[in-house]
Amino acid sequence: MEIKLFRPHSLEEALSQRAQYGKDALPLAGGQSLLVMLRNKLIDPQVLLDLEPLGELRGLQARANGVSIGAMTTFFDLLYSSDVQNAAPILAQAAAKVGSTAIRNLGTIGGNLCHNEPGADLPPALLALNASVELRSRKGTRKVPLTEFFRGYFETAVEAEEILSRVEIPTLPKGARGAYIKHAITPEDLAIAGVAVVLVPDGKNPVSASELRIGLGGVAPVPLRALKAEAALNGTALTDEAIGAAAEIAASEAEPMSDPHASAEYRRKMIKVLMRRALAAAIEGGERNGHGKA
Amino acid sequence: MAKLKLQVNGESHELEASETALLLDALREGLGMTGTKRGCETSHCGACTVLLDGMAVHSCVVLAARCEGKEIATVEGLAQDGELNELQRLFLKHGALQCGYCTPGMLMAATALLRRNPKPTLEEIKVGLDGNLCRCTGYTGIFEAIQACAVGAK
Repeated sequence: MEIKLFRPHSLEEALSQRAQYGKDALPLAGGQSLLVMLRNKLIDPQVLLDLEPLGELRGLQARANGVSIGAMTTFFDLLYSSDVQNAAPILAQAAAKVGSTAIRNLGTIGGNLCHNEPGADLPPALLALNASVELRSRKGTRKVPLTEFFRGYFETAVEAEEILSRVEIPTLPKGARGAYIKHAITPEDLAIAGVAVVLVPDGKNPVSASELRIGLGGVAPVPLRALKAEAALNGTALTDEAIGAAAEIAASEAEPMSDPHASAEYRRKMIKVLMRRALAAAIEGGERNGHGKA
Repeated sequence: MAKLKLQVNGESHELEASETALLLDALREGLGMTGTKRGCETSHCGACTVLLDGMAVHSCVVLAARCEGKEIATVEGLAQDGELNELQRLFLKHGALQCGYCTPGMLMAATALLRRNPKPTLEEIKVGLDGNLCRCTGYTGIFEAIQACAVGAK
């Protein structure tokens, strides 16, 4: 049967259609993954619910308590937004490393999160930024911390009647620094492993962090925070030894998979390497590795 | 089926296609504009690159219905009055193609890049073409052609 395309004029209309068709109506964001899945017959929707006409879902708003990003905001928009550069530079770093130019021109932050493909670049960065998402349905609006959003391979907390409308990033603590570092065969690939770090230096020498957050991607069924590694480093001097020990802990927190790109064992080793590099880059206040796409 | 009105290379076209037809199919099958190549159809190879309101996109992952009211540019629009444009001539001069299958996509990705950034560095050229694969040339000729075009830019 031919798939129907709905192009709603308002979010209300889109939510009504989503309520009517439930999981048979798939929201279409940038389409950079969904249309490939459709072509490969991995999904079989009755309706594509095109969110592109909903201008209210695209764009960023800098607010006193952080940045609010519409779900249809593209990677391109994120890359060139001064609000993102100021409020969440590691999000811009991660957006720069997604796929290729053509994909960044159309792909969206909301689509990237809802697709939840292992190795996606935005989730580790957004986890380290303490982001949350706003899920809308006709019944109301709920805010879900990103740590509770990812449920399994390609699965999220989005219910059949819901649409992810916004991503909220709280203001970073003063002096916070960060880095997102990715390992992939070619820069256009999904991450074999990706590590995002946000830390707040406390001014001591050697440096220690009054707050430290580590997001991991590509190394477990879902993107995750390395909470035990964070705890191990909290308030301690960030020496090579301490970072090395925490990297071992982070690797043990992961549950990597083996696939044609990399074995589970290799992914675990890469976490350790990337975590050392990401922390070093964050301590220096910049980014070292970048596949040239900083 | 749905009626679509697409603006391609400055000309308005009407066609019938399924509601969820891809831009690639609308161009090739619907309008007979086969300059845009069908490659991997999974947004990896870039053979199907066209410009949508000036931005390089892979037409295999764009719904044609989304392109109504937008300006589509394809490789057929580069030459004017039968004369290749400067970028195309420089592709020939620098041996930027062998089999030629990736060339329409390469030209369109480079066109988008040069419009945004008339004098890109080599690194910026590599990023601008990171969605386009060439299996023949090793890219050197392609990069040289684009750099030569950038040098010529006013």
